[in-house]
Amino acid sequence: MSHENPLLPRPATIQKIIPETGDVKTFRLTLDDAEAMAAWHHEPGQLGMLSVFGVGEAMFSISSSPTKREYIEFSIKRMGKVTRALHELEAGCQVGLRGPYGNHFPYEKFKGKDLLFVGGGIGLAPLRSLIDFVLAEENRGDYGRVEILYGARSYDDLCFKDDVLDGWVRQPGTVVYTTIDQAEERWTGHVGFVPAYLKEVAPTPENKYALICGPPVMIKFVMQALQKLGFREEQIYSTLELRMKCGIGKCGRCNIGSKFVCLEGPVFNMVEIGQLPPEF
Amino acid sequence: MERDRLAAFLDQIATRYHLVAPVAEDGVVDYRRVDDARRVVLDELSTVPPKTHFFPQTEELYSYSTVTGLEIKETVGTPAAVLFGVRPCDLKGFLALDPVFAGRFRDPYYWSKRERTIIIGLSCTTVQSTCFCQAFDGSPVNGEGADVLFTPLEAVYLVEILTSKGEQLAAEFSTFLGTEGVEEALRGKEALARELDGRFIRQVDLEGVKEKADRMFDHPYWRRLARRCLGCGICTFLCPTCHCFDVVDENRGDRTGLRVRCWDSCMFTDFTLHTSGHNPRPSKTERLRNRILHKLKYHLDRYGLHGCVGCGRCVAKCPVNIDLTKVIAEIREVD
Amino acid sequence: MKSTLETLRKEAAHLLKEERVKFVIGYAQGTDLARTTPFFAANVRQAGMLTWTPFCVYSLVKYLLDFRYDDIRLAVVVKGCDSRAVNRLVQDNQFARERVVVLGIPCGGMLDREKVLRVVEPAAALLEAEDRGTEYLLKTDCGEFCFEKQETLLAKCLECEHNVPVVADRMVGPKVPSPARPGMDRFAGVRELEALDTAARSAFWDRHFARCLRCFACRNVCPACNCKECSLERAVPGWQQGVCWLSKRTSLGLNHMFHLIRMYHVTGRCIDCGECARVCPVNIPLRELYRKVAKDANELLGMSLPGLDPEEKPLLTTYQATDPDEFM
Repeated sequence: MSHENPLLPRPATIQKIIPETGDVKTFRLTLDDAEAMAAWHHEPGQLGMLSVFGVGEAMFSISSSPTKREYIEFSIKRMGKVTRALHELEAGCQVGLRGPYGNHFPYEKFKGKDLLFVGGGIGLAPLRSLIDFVLAEENRGDYGRVEILYGARSYDDLCFKDDVLDGWVRQPGTVVYTTIDQAEERWTGHVGFVPAYLKEVAPTPENKYALICGPPVMIKFVMQALQKLGFREEQIYSTLELRMKCGIGKCGRCNIGSKFVCLEGPVFNMVEIGQLPPEF
Repeated sequence: MERDRLAAFLDQIATRYHLVAPVAEDGVVDYRRVDDARRVVLDELSTVPPKTHFFPQTEELYSYSTVTGLEIKETVGTPAAVLFGVRPCDLKGFLALDPVFAGRFRDPYYWSKRERTIIIGLSCTTVQSTCFCQAFDGSPVNGEGADVLFTPLEAVYLVEILTSKGEQLAAEFSTFLGTEGVEEALRGKEALARELDGRFIRQVDLEGVKEKADRMFDHPYWRRLARRCLGCGICTFLCPTCHCFDVVDENRGDRTGLRVRCWDSCMFTDFTLHTSGHNPRPSKTERLRNRILHKLKYHLDRYGLHGCVGCGRCVAKCPVNIDLTKVIAEIREVD
Repeated sequence: MKSTLETLRKEAAHLLKEERVKFVIGYAQGTDLARTTPFFAANVRQAGMLTWTPFCVYSLVKYLLDFRYDDIRLAVVVKGCDSRAVNRLVQDNQFARERVVVLGIPCGGMLDREKVLRVVEPAAALLEAEDRGTEYLLKTDCGEFCFEKQETLLAKCLECEHNVPVVADRMVGPKVPSPARPGMDRFAGVRELEALDTAARSAFWDRHFARCLRCFACRNVCPACNCKECSLERAVPGWQQGVCWLSKRTSLGLNHMFHLIRMYHVTGRCIDCGECARVCPVNIPLRELYRKVAKDANELLGMSLPGLDPEEKPLLTTYQATDPDEFM
């Protein structure tokens, strides 16, 4: 039954834990079975189910790019039972991994286009997978200009500081706009909410796709702001988050109307979102 | 098969297979493993549907140990079973569950049992006041979904072999079966079907209901309907097509434990509750709407099958008389 | 019952017309002869849809909690048994007494629908019900049927101690004689179980609890259960740092745990309305379980039936120096 049992996690080991903020850590994992690791492939935007045995399982976005073949990363905020347990683990600990699950950002369709990423807080995690994919040497030529607008509550809450404040900034054809909600002494950058900053930056919609992830309320206002800037619904993608237990379309709790987010999501075009009942 | 040989036939099956059949206890009928055919209940619809056989309320997925490195031990070993006495509505229930547990991620727990089980359907001889299988193209004598269908007639059971699994069973227990009077029995079954057809009290008309359900998500009707809902899990747990489950770990405290899945209900407050506190279905209104639309629309959208088979259990057992047949009528009526 | 119903509809219409309450929570005819359904009358027209028959089994008081945090007034119809739930919720400051208009109806007992449906077709329409003291007369479109109360009432009604509501702002309808069987003993079922030897008693509860589906109907219907967050609600993220008392897994042991936790939590709060046993889809005799504790509390601490007096202190919130302490 093993090879076909989608509910059976595969043992994985935490290779490295990178503290991102006070309550977010990035866990770098490898599957214990070398063959399985070599065969692992995920797409940007897909999900993985992590197990802490004896505590439970929870679904997370994969935050590393598929181009990073040697590991799989998850950036996880300490929130509930499973995430607390994860945060107590150290490098070398074993966890369980199922997946990858769900659809992904349609990066084939994005070829030849400019990309605008809008993220809030831990919502940058799934976008990061795509950003690094697009910025990877082997893919960079396929895409145009990359704009990243990222905000968090405070300086401390900014995730992936190495990328946001340094790595991505240095990439050619890439602009990063960073903002925090309230002024702080050590912060010389922009202060204000993401949707407001977006209006200020006023990216043009021509030949561009916008990709959003963040808290539900931020997503809502960013979508409105983008439409005001002239983006059509077809140009906007977002990821939706619902509680999941199985990840494989059986347990029935991540439905929005007739769609299961674990199968037909988490990435939705705004046209599709408009057709879904507002129950997410 | 002569009617008085049924017990002997079942006892014989029980010597070679896990025989699972409806039995009564304190007025509750559910499907259990039986060794003594005399306990089998032949004349009423079970309280709990036979989905318990393929999708038990609690099912161990695997055990684990982290004592010396992580070890995951799969739960294995599905005995060959015969599931006897499944009513036509519940047979349709299996057909509605099948596509959920199939698909790109095939559920091995469900299918290992499904494949190793021979299903003997049992035609109904009465129509209860809560029955409405007719509405969903069912019939009290419809054997679709069974391997073998038994139809009780005056002196005999008409035994219809419907699949190759059924043939296998019939060959194995051929001494109980005869071919005499089959024609007559088939006519008897037709007569029974005609007679039962007229006995349905509930006339449920689905005309236009799906189309209406497609565009009434925001209707105030749901709020009115949900006011009296208690938010318990009876309707979902007793539903032959409800398949929601939770996955939980149980830690024995010695670095070993179990992972199990157990029935869950979209009627429960915490079903969709995010860790952040956000709940996409925060009140009884959204939750009841989800259940009703799942039965009448979502399942149909996804799998091309109705999410309801008209067994009437939720109608019979809802503690506050939220009656799906009335709900269907009201959906047709509201503006 | 006809004149009582007329008075009830009139009272309800008045309250709604004067906008004294947002809803009158009462009963409407259900989907067969022997069923009613809880009904939220919101206007004068709907007040006319209220009904009063010998099938109004539901306790409606628990619905008040759905409006706990709303700034509205409600009216609720109560019988003797469920009227105690009003005091219960008021006692726990769950619902301000002045926010509810209690419409009390003296009750001649409720009929056991199973027994009635053995005689009358469920599809028959109930035209009128008449309480004739020792029997009910049901007038239907299929003829008239008489039901001897002693034979056909719900078991709980034959043990009734308060058929006249213990609290009411308006008493609707005349006082009617109690349907209780003379000399009845509320604790007879408990005594029977107590008389069993330990092994037999254990087997009894094992058998029943093994069937439990953990559907939460008993808790959700219970007027003694008013916690915003329930310790039995499983796997609620972050609840007490993620600690769950009980997993969702059903097993004999966990089911025992579930019911014993509930039993202790309703101690001194259970008003013995019997709703838990009525709603249980798998016939677990929950009432006897809670009555066992009530009986012990009565014998040891002199506790009377909760819900009779809104001023009384719940048993487990009080202590007296004279309380027995043999177990300490």
